[in-house]
Formats: sequence, structure tokens, C-alpha cells
Amino acid sequence: MKVLKTLKKHRIPYLFISPFFILFFCFQLIPVVWTFYISFTEWNGLKAPEWVGFDNFSLMFRDYMFKEAFMNTVFYWIVSVIGVIAIALLIAVALKSNHLKCRKAFQTIAFLPYVCASVAMGLIFMMLFDENAGLINEVIVSLGGQRIAWLSSSQYSKIPVVILFIWRSIPWFTIIIYSGLLNISPEYYEAATVDGANVFQQFAKITIPLLKNILFFCALTITIDTWKMFNESMTLAGPGTSNTSLFQLIYENGFQTMKLGYASSLSVVLIFILLIISMIQYKLRKSDEGV
Amino acid sequence: MKGNTRSSLIVNIFMIIVVLVCLFPVLWMCAIAVKPVGEPVSGFNALTIGSPTLSNFSRLFELIPVMHNLFNSAFTTILGTITTLFFCALAGFAFAKYRFPGRAKLFAFVIATMAISAEAGAIPLFIIMRKIGLINSLWSLVIPRIATAVGIFYLTQYMLDVPDELVEAARIDGYHDFNIFLKIICPVIKPALASWASLTLIARWNDYFFPLLFLNKTDKYTLMVSVSLLPISDGLATPWQVILAGCTLVIIPAIILYLLMQLMQKSGSFAGAVKG
Repeated sequence: MKVLKTLKKHRIPYLFISPFFILFFCFQLIPVVWTFYISFTEWNGLKAPEWVGFDNFSLMFRDYMFKEAFMNTVFYWIVSVIGVIAIALLIAVALKSNHLKCRKAFQTIAFLPYVCASVAMGLIFMMLFDENAGLINEVIVSLGGQRIAWLSSSQYSKIPVVILFIWRSIPWFTIIIYSGLLNISPEYYEAATVDGANVFQQFAKITIPLLKNILFFCALTITIDTWKMFNESMTLAGPGTSNTSLFQLIYENGFQTMKLGYASSLSVVLIFILLIISMIQYKLRKSDEGV
Repeated sequence: MKGNTRSSLIVNIFMIIVVLVCLFPVLWMCAIAVKPVGEPVSGFNALTIGSPTLSNFSRLFELIPVMHNLFNSAFTTILGTITTLFFCALAGFAFAKYRFPGRAKLFAFVIATMAISAEAGAIPLFIIMRKIGLINSLWSLVIPRIATAVGIFYLTQYMLDVPDELVEAARIDGYHDFNIFLKIICPVIKPALASWASLTLIARWNDYFFPLLFLNKTDKYTLMVSVSLLPISDGLATPWQVILAGCTLVIIPAIILYLLMQLMQKSGSFAGAVKG
């Protein structure tokens, strides 16, 4: 009775927030719980699912495709975090510099890659990195180098994918870091200049420490994005699973070869990875508030 | 003074390189899109255009139902953005301007849900969509994301800064809850709505995974899915010029939209959207 009374008294705000909770329940919570169930079964989507216990998970340890996709994703993750943050930081610092002319124009154009769809850009990257006809190899050859089988060898096929991902991600993180830079009081730099610190010392001793939280936030966001990577590796697919991402492997198992049980067990792994990342994020946000 | 000109030179040259790297693939794509199929696209030949043509686009219209796909993309993008803006703002309004039992806990819950991504449950999600008959329906791309956690979080933060007096004054004037939201709050939070709208529009236009999953008829595809399938749609023989004409068609609306938004927002950039 009491619950009903509270609900009635505050029905307006509850009504306003209800769409989110209903949709979350139907399209996020149920699917995730259901995924856990399917992961313990063998199912092709037609017959009734058959309970197999932990078979799918033990299969994972013997599956070289899983191992390869997992390691590919780890590669994408580490290279992207370092690459995106380093370049975005440089661009943000350059954008803030007083020496820069036409700041607005630079800012507008530098954001462009984020606007362009990864699938479309993937196709132009495919042309760019083509072994025989691609512009990149043409430049390498004219400089006296050897043609590199960017997309047709398992050795190099991850590189175009990660370059495309970094190229498209940089603008977003540049904006975040740039707004962080704008929040740093100029007095710090003035004081440091008076003390005779050069640009590099100022960067290492003022900019980086004060941006620490923002940079960490960026690293976590890039981490989540790379573990969910699909478009880039799908469009620029190399031989076999040489550059397949974990999420792409889930898609291929679930919707192309119809191994729904196995695909779900891979999803469970992905859910746990994302959960761990979020927990780290939460812990750090908590400790940050404490300070 | 000498050191100053040098660092000025470094900064400006660096940014020019950045801009070139950003622009080159995009401009190059547009250039090849108007290159006749007869001209070679290998190596440095790809950088020159003999006689520009629009025939690649007409070839594209023969290969895929461009108008259908374009309509589907526009429909899901615009409807998706309007609905998500409305429901996220409504929920944000409740969280920011009402005191009700469980408010803090529910808000924390909304934020916590960001940890679970919808993609992770893709397989059951597909089954649910099939059960409720939304496979091959454009609504499958709109309904699940009518209210998103990120949107609610961002708009709540913004609305917390709106003074409570505004709401109270409206209430004294006899406004109903919903009218307060629509006539008082929405006009005040217009900048936040605008920046969130532009981000959502671009994200939805570029959406690829869910359309690929939920739509499986050529007529129902969004432009993004159609274009992604171009390399295999005509055997393996679709010329690069035609594929890139498709890509150009995909990215041009997003770029135009982005530039319009930049012009409209005087303070510029999306920085406002990621603050806080």
C-alpha cells in the first residue's frame, strides 16, 4: 500500500523516467541475461537449444580463431590508446597555442574524420592500402622500398585497421583534451615562465599532471570502443582471422555460421571484459571524489 | 622574438599537416567518385582526373535502390534523434527538478547501465526483434534507443544548473508539469539540446552494426549498409569509382550537417557537449 501511495504521489517524475527503464529492461537486460543462458547451450536457431554446460567455454581454449581475435583486439586496444591519446594531446596543445592562426578553421577541419562514417572511410583505406594498386605502396616504391601486402598478408593486416580506427577517433578525444586544457588556469604557465621553465618542462610538469584525470577518462573510453570494434575490421577484413576483432568473431559465429551457443559464450567473455573496465572507472571516480 | 617566430612556424606547420591528413582521404574519395570508369585508379593515376563525370552516380542508382536507402537512413536518423532528444530531456528534467524517493539510486542505476552495451546481447536482441515483428522494420533502429543513458546523464547535468525558481514560478502561474518541461525548460536548455542533437544525428547516420543486423532486404537497407555491400553486390567487378561514389553519397550529408551546425553554434565546436 505504502509503495502504491508513494508511486501515486510522485507519479509525474516516475512517469517521465519510465521510458528509459522499460526499454532498458526489454532491449538490454533481458538480452544480456538471455545471452548467459544461451552460452551454456548448443543452438543453431532452428531446433530447440541443447544444454551442454561449460562445453562452449572449454572449446574457446582450443579455438585458435578465438585466440587470434582476442589477441588482435588486445593489439587494437593498446596501439589505439597510445596512438590516439598521444596525437590528440599534441593537436589539442597546438590548437590552444597562441601562435596558431585561423584557429576556428583548423578546429572545424580537424573534427571532420569523426563525422565521416567508418565504413565509407574503410573502403577508401582499402584502396589506399592495396598491395598492387594502392597509393601507399606506390609512395614506398618510389622512395625505393618494397611493396607491403598490407591487407593480403596476415602479418600486416591489422595495421590499416588500427590506423583507420585511430584516424577516426582522434577528433573526438582532441575536443575532450582541448576543453580540459582550456580549464587550466593561465597563471600556472605565467608563474612557470617567470621561474624560467621552458615549454617542454611546462608541458611535463603542469599540463600532464593537471590533465591526468581527463587522459585517464579518454584511455578508458578508447578501451571500451576498441573492445567493441566492428566496422573497421569488418570493412578491412584481411586473410582468415588475421585481423578479426573479438566482436566481429561473435557476429560471424552468431549470424553467419549460426553457432549461437558458442557466439553467446564469446559475448559473455566480452560482457565480463566491459564490466571490469567499468568497475575500474567507477572505483577511480569514487576515489577521485574523495580527494 | 626569434624563438617566437620559430615556435609559431612549428605550430602552424604541424596543424597544416594535421588538416591535410584529415582532409586527404575525404577529398580523394570525392575525386575518384567523379573519375570515369575507363580511367585507371592504380597508384599515382588515382590522383588525376581526366574528364570529371557523374556517370558513376547513375551507375550507383542502377546497382542499389539509392532513393529507398536514402529515405531509410534519413527516416531512422531524424526520427531517432527527435525521440531520443525528447525522452532523454524528459527523464533529465525529472531527475534534475523533482524530489522523489529513490531519485539518487535510480540515477546511479542509469549511469551503471552504460557498462552493459546493447551490442553484447546482439543474439537475443535479434530474436526479440523477430518475435515482435520488427526485423526489416525501420522502427527496430528507433525504439530500443528512444531513451539512452548517456543522453539522460548529459541533459540532467545541464538541467541541474537551471534555477529551481524558474520551475516554481511556472507552477504558480498554473503550468502543468508537462507544460513546464515543454514551454519553460526546453527553451532554456536549447544549447544542450542542439549539441546533443548534432552528435546524435551524426552517430545515427553513421550507424552500421544494428542496421546490418535488423535489416536484410535491399529495399529496407539504410544507405550505410547498401554502400558497405557494394564491393560484393555486382560480383567482384564493381569498379572502385562506383563504390566510392556510394561512399561519397554517404559522407556528404553528414559533412554538410556538421558544417551547418558549426555555423549555427557561434561558440563553435562540440566542446560544450563533453564538458562536465
